Amino acid sequence: MTRWSLRTRMMLLSALVTLVALGLAGWTMAGVLDRVVTGGVDQRLDAQLAVLASTVRGDGSVDRDKLAARQGALAAGPSWRWRIDGPRETLGSGDFPVLRSPFPGPAGAAPGPLPPAPLDGEDAKGRIHARRLVLESSAGPVTLTAAAPGRVIGRPIRDALVPLASVIVALALIFAIAAWVQLRFALRPLAALVAQIGAIRRGERTAVDEAQPAELQPLATELNALAAANAATLAAARQSAANLAHALKTPVATLALTVAPDTPEAAQVRRIEGVIRHTLARARAAAVNRRASTAIAPVARDVAAVLGTLYPATDLRLEIVADARIAIDAHDLAEILGNLLDNAARHARSTVVLTAAADGAVLTIDDDGPGIPAERREQVLQPGVRLDEGPAGDGFGLAIVRDLVALYGGTMALEQGPLGGLRVRLTYPGGATT
Amino acid sequence: MRILLVEDDPDLGPAIARALRAEHCAVDLAADGIDAQHLGETEAYDAAVLDLGLPGRTGAEILTAWRANGRALPVLVLTAREAWADKVTAFKAGADDYLTKPFRVEELMMRLRALVRRAAGHAQTRIECGPLAFESQTGQFELDGLPLKLTAFEWRVLSQLILRREVVIERLELLERVYEGDADVDSNSLEVIIGRLRRKIGAERIETVRGRGYRLTCGGQPA
Repeated sequence: MTRWSLRTRMMLLSALVTLVALGLAGWTMAGVLDRVVTGGVDQRLDAQLAVLASTVRGDGSVDRDKLAARQGALAAGPSWRWRIDGPRETLGSGDFPVLRSPFPGPAGAAPGPLPPAPLDGEDAKGRIHARRLVLESSAGPVTLTAAAPGRVIGRPIRDALVPLASVIVALALIFAIAAWVQLRFALRPLAALVAQIGAIRRGERTAVDEAQPAELQPLATELNALAAANAATLAAARQSAANLAHALKTPVATLALTVAPDTPEAAQVRRIEGVIRHTLARARAAAVNRRASTAIAPVARDVAAVLGTLYPATDLRLEIVADARIAIDAHDLAEILGNLLDNAARHARSTVVLTAAADGAVLTIDDDGPGIPAERREQVLQPGVRLDEGPAGDGFGLAIVRDLVALYGGTMALEQGPLGGLRVRLTYPGGATT
Repeated sequence: MRILLVEDDPDLGPAIARALRAEHCAVDLAADGIDAQHLGETEAYDAAVLDLGLPGRTGAEILTAWRANGRALPVLVLTAREAWADKVTAFKAGADDYLTKPFRVEELMMRLRALVRRAAGHAQTRIECGPLAFESQTGQFELDGLPLKLTAFEWRVLSQLILRREVVIERLELLERVYEGDADVDSNSLEVIIGRLRRKIGAERIETVRGRGYRLTCGGQPA
């Protein structure tokens, strides 16, 4: 089961907080709006009630002339209605709706003339908002009621709520975008760290960047310690594999001497030899030092001295620009030049030439031997393949060199050489070092 | 051909010695560096097979000491160290050839024969002397173009003689190059071997130079 991502968690949290905050803000504003609008309507209703009250005489009867004179003040609009319930008569709008009093009980119990009490009710057209005032007269209480349609409260609130809601939605969007940008920005070092760890796994780097935000700093430090411990373990394992392979060489040599040739046992011994070689080559490859810079000429002279002893009849010429250097460890350069020059000297009739350009980026080794036909050149690079049937050479040289050259980022090509034999060309794209 | 074999491994040393003896060589086996250096400085060998990692004294030290003392015998370094850097070090110390373990005994033999032949001043692998021919790569003798069957002792004596054809080899030196260091040498046995060789290749081929030694003559037909 995958856990929710940090981004999801933080986005959800942010969305929740935003919704609650905006909801609260909307609710509060709607409440305030409602109070303001209702208050305005109540003022008008109370003014009507005051008009109605002024028409009621002390004996509870209604002064109809006065009422008619003040009718204008009562006609606020359609569905604004009023009613006077007196002990003697009832006057008012004909379709006055039934209203529910929030204070059920005998009307006479109403305390005093003020303040007017609110009432609610409904008619065929909807909600009704009303105010009621009870007057005491000599004949008994007179109940005055003024009612306004619900829409005079609802409409302004709705009209105000639409832009308000738009603003709230816009705010929510802005908050969401801000949260997303923040997250991206905050999580960017984490993404970079992930990319660097991937690079460590692919062997492209050995450690992650230690300059990290404070929260990631301990993680980076621990990661680097882990990577270093891993590398040390791996190096130790490879070294112990190499030591094992090395230690096996002598007993295997003994075995090779004691088994009869061309038997299944001899084939097994050859297999063991192959494994030893492979293991050692891999351990050596793991120890490649890519920051090396080696002068070519001294290494080439050392190797040439060895080959001069082994092949005294071969003229081995070194045409190396003075001070040419190459970004290969001296030990590995000796391995590369040794194998290639040995191979060339073994096949040459009389001459082998090694050239190195000034920047050390291109090395060529030419011989005047029979060469290798173009279609078989790839084949000789396979480990253990030899095209000649002579006894010398183990058939691993060219493959070892090709792998070693590749480890340093170079390429090895087999070509038709100018001396008539094989030309081996080593190319290093960034080979030049000084 | 008498070989000094320096190898400290208790199994590999005797195994190589057996293989070399099967190829008719006389072999003295030294298992530590101090013995090896001493033997190389005091005994006469046609070649030495030298391991690099040895108790007492390393192969490179022994080799350097031999060369410093003027010992010119051909030395083949036989080691598990296959890096060219090690090879360069060994050759700088004075090695003549280098073979890494594991190896084919045929290759070791071929290289040893080539070293001995070159040390005797022969550029060609086939050495002829009258009707007699020595294929130095394989160690085969031919007489009038036909393979010549020889015992190990006969082969050792005849290979010494043909590598230095027309040259007198002192009897003592011949004895040294034919018998292993711990062999119980009967002073007459060399004469017996010479006698048998004369019967095989013709009595006039091996001359006895009184008071000095023996010489293989090629009968006015220089090869």
